[in-house]
Amino acid sequence: MAELGAACIRFALLIAIAGFGVAIHAGLSRRPDWTRVAERSVLVVAVSVAIAIATLFTAFATGDFRLSYVAAHSALSMATPYRLAALWGGQAGSLLLWLFILCMYSSACVLANREKNRGLMAWVVAVLLANALFFLVLLTFVTDPFETFPPERAMSDGAGLNPLLQHPVMMIHPLMLYTGLVGFAVPFAFAFAALISGQLGSTWFQTTRRWTLFPWLFLSIGIMLGGRWAYEVLGWGGYWAWDPVENASFMPWLPATAYLHSVMIQEKRDMLKTWNLLLIGLTYTLCLFGTFLTRSGIVQSVHAFAQTPIFTSVFLGYVAFTAIAFLTALLARRRGLRSPQRLESVVSREAGFLLNNWVFIAILMVVFTGTLFPVFSESIGERTVLGPKYFQMLAGPLALVLLLLTGVGPLIAWRRATAASLRRQFRWPAVATLATAAGVVALVRSQLTPYALGAWSLGGFVTATIVHAIRSRVRHGETPLQALFALWRKSQQRYGGYIVHLGAVLVLMGATGSVLNEERLENVKPGAEIRMHNLRFDYLTANALPAQHYGGAVARLALYRDDQPLAVMTPEKRMYWLEQQPASIPSVYSTLQEDVYVVLTAIEKDGSATFKIYRNPLVNWIWIGGAVFVFGTLLVMWPHPTRSPARRA
Amino acid sequence: MSKGVQVAGGATIVALLLAWYALANLETGASFSYYKSLAEFQAAQQTETGKPVRVHGYVSLGSIERDVAAREVRFTVQNAPPHKASADAGPAMPVIFASLETPDLFKDGAEVVLEGRLRGGSPPAFVADKLLAKCPSKFEGQGPATADGGARG
Repeated sequence: MAELGAACIRFALLIAIAGFGVAIHAGLSRRPDWTRVAERSVLVVAVSVAIAIATLFTAFATGDFRLSYVAAHSALSMATPYRLAALWGGQAGSLLLWLFILCMYSSACVLANREKNRGLMAWVVAVLLANALFFLVLLTFVTDPFETFPPERAMSDGAGLNPLLQHPVMMIHPLMLYTGLVGFAVPFAFAFAALISGQLGSTWFQTTRRWTLFPWLFLSIGIMLGGRWAYEVLGWGGYWAWDPVENASFMPWLPATAYLHSVMIQEKRDMLKTWNLLLIGLTYTLCLFGTFLTRSGIVQSVHAFAQTPIFTSVFLGYVAFTAIAFLTALLARRRGLRSPQRLESVVSREAGFLLNNWVFIAILMVVFTGTLFPVFSESIGERTVLGPKYFQMLAGPLALVLLLLTGVGPLIAWRRATAASLRRQFRWPAVATLATAAGVVALVRSQLTPYALGAWSLGGFVTATIVHAIRSRVRHGETPLQALFALWRKSQQRYGGYIVHLGAVLVLMGATGSVLNEERLENVKPGAEIRMHNLRFDYLTANALPAQHYGGAVARLALYRDDQPLAVMTPEKRMYWLEQQPASIPSVYSTLQEDVYVVLTAIEKDGSATFKIYRNPLVNWIWIGGAVFVFGTLLVMWPHPTRSPARRA
Repeated sequence: MSKGVQVAGGATIVALLLAWYALANLETGASFSYYKSLAEFQAAQQTETGKPVRVHGYVSLGSIERDVAAREVRFTVQNAPPHKASADAGPAMPVIFASLETPDLFKDGAEVVLEGRLRGGSPPAFVADKLLAKCPSKFEGQGPATADGGARG
């Protein structure tokens, strides 16, 4: 089996090389027949890679420990779903997954454009195959997932997967994230193809917008699932720590989001072409760079075990090459990209969108600098790390500006807004903002920070502008739901976009709840109680966990609010035998108002237990907001009857 | 004045304000942390007493003592992983961690980063306010879990 997988990768490598050459030839000679040949080679590569990844899945399912990769990342004691998910538990497998998803996107792109964008497709295929080629080379020569042990060193069982990764969310989180990151290859290929071929008209970016929305949705889901997993598994009471690995997935999301906004200016006013191309290039480069960050261990000094110099130099070289090639093409075409339009007023929707773009890029620069600061600082002197405080301090105020723009942008007029229209649009949202602010001050009082007051008031502002925008368009005799549906049918982009904004506002307002977080470390004997304001925890007992592939203890605490019984909380302290790794699994009592989050830190020798207790207000709104966000994006993407491809054809 | 100049001017002002805000806050030193290996730290011990630092080392085998009454954990760190016989472990340094909240991965032989300061006296001890731990046995430097576990302790 292992031989089949390795053979498929090598075969795909050969076909990709040939296909790449054919695509270049087709592009230069403008021969449609050669373009078809190149497109077919994409499909052949995809099938071949699909067989390879199926082989590796089979090896994991059957426990073929002759493969060193399978032996290093799975064990017989693991449940089958986790054994399959172990495929992306390590470097070689996750790169194979990257390649597989890239091949799926490339095939979908080829199949969807059989009749469209014919002049571009040769170059699109060339760019997509060049990317596939890189990963094929990596998998063949640098990090081979099908490497086998010599027969005398064959193993009867594997080393197992990091137990923290053995969680339902972790089975889908990497898939979502990769479906997001890799998907930006298609818009990138279109942008690059437009630059190479000089066909800078409007067709390519309409294609690109849809191909951007899809991976953007999955990247958003992936990021949120990552936070959810951290919250449920890592037991530190939080969901986002500005860790380099998290930042790596967040960085491409920023220019992608900026692009989705600024592309609307290009649609409506034919401006910002160069800027939009730059954003696409930046997004994809950051996707590659993020993959490199998480797969190389370059930023975490404590974690820098697997830094193989070959992998680092090859991958970095590839990222740099991609960025430089794209920029060169962009510079060469800069004349053709000039727009006849000019910004007419700084009080206009264009200006609002531009500002929105700058804020996204500013946040990107903050995150990028902070993430790579250890590397930068080491090259000029002492290795220095910037903590979460740095990120919060800079990204927080920028997020407030973004929130303000979220409210202002969709309501302000294109070209030039008049004072009268501003008054009409913003009078009652302004009242709503002040009312929210007053409500927040009355409810929260002492712990309120200026940032939190700003975030919640602006959240009220954005919500009010959205309600106002919809209400003012409800016709007489319509129920609100009918009206919403009709409006959405008329302009999916606009009204779906409002729902996306509403979701983002909920996420931000929920995250702002962290300023009211409280935590307590307590050591108690069985029978004793812990009080935290109106909450009471009775520590009942601790029991040994039933023997399985992990052991340990589970503590039971009765939770009361104002002496009303609410729940029995059961935090666990586990020890995974095979991996020799302990893990604290928190117990969470979750309501819309707040989460009560209990971690069993230790069972002490004297029979007492040490608990870490967190009260996290509003956390649930992050996940609710995430769901609203996804729903809104689906509303934007929903196939529209008047725009369906069947009709166009 | 053209619109372009207006926009560029506005952007410059915003950027300057942000930069000023960042510098003013970073100067307090709240966001900076320095890594030093235990050997480097011990070499400069005289000058380092009392200053806040981050030190990297390995927990000596069998040295962890949890003192529930005093609400602290005491252990010693050394320069090299204890399970590597060949490496030079160097002189161990006693550490007092003033909390019972130890991370999951904190155990014998674990790789740790301590945040705190050296307390003079005899023998001198390192008083840690923060303790980050990393499992030494097998790590590929790639899964988000492994990276997070260490960074968040």
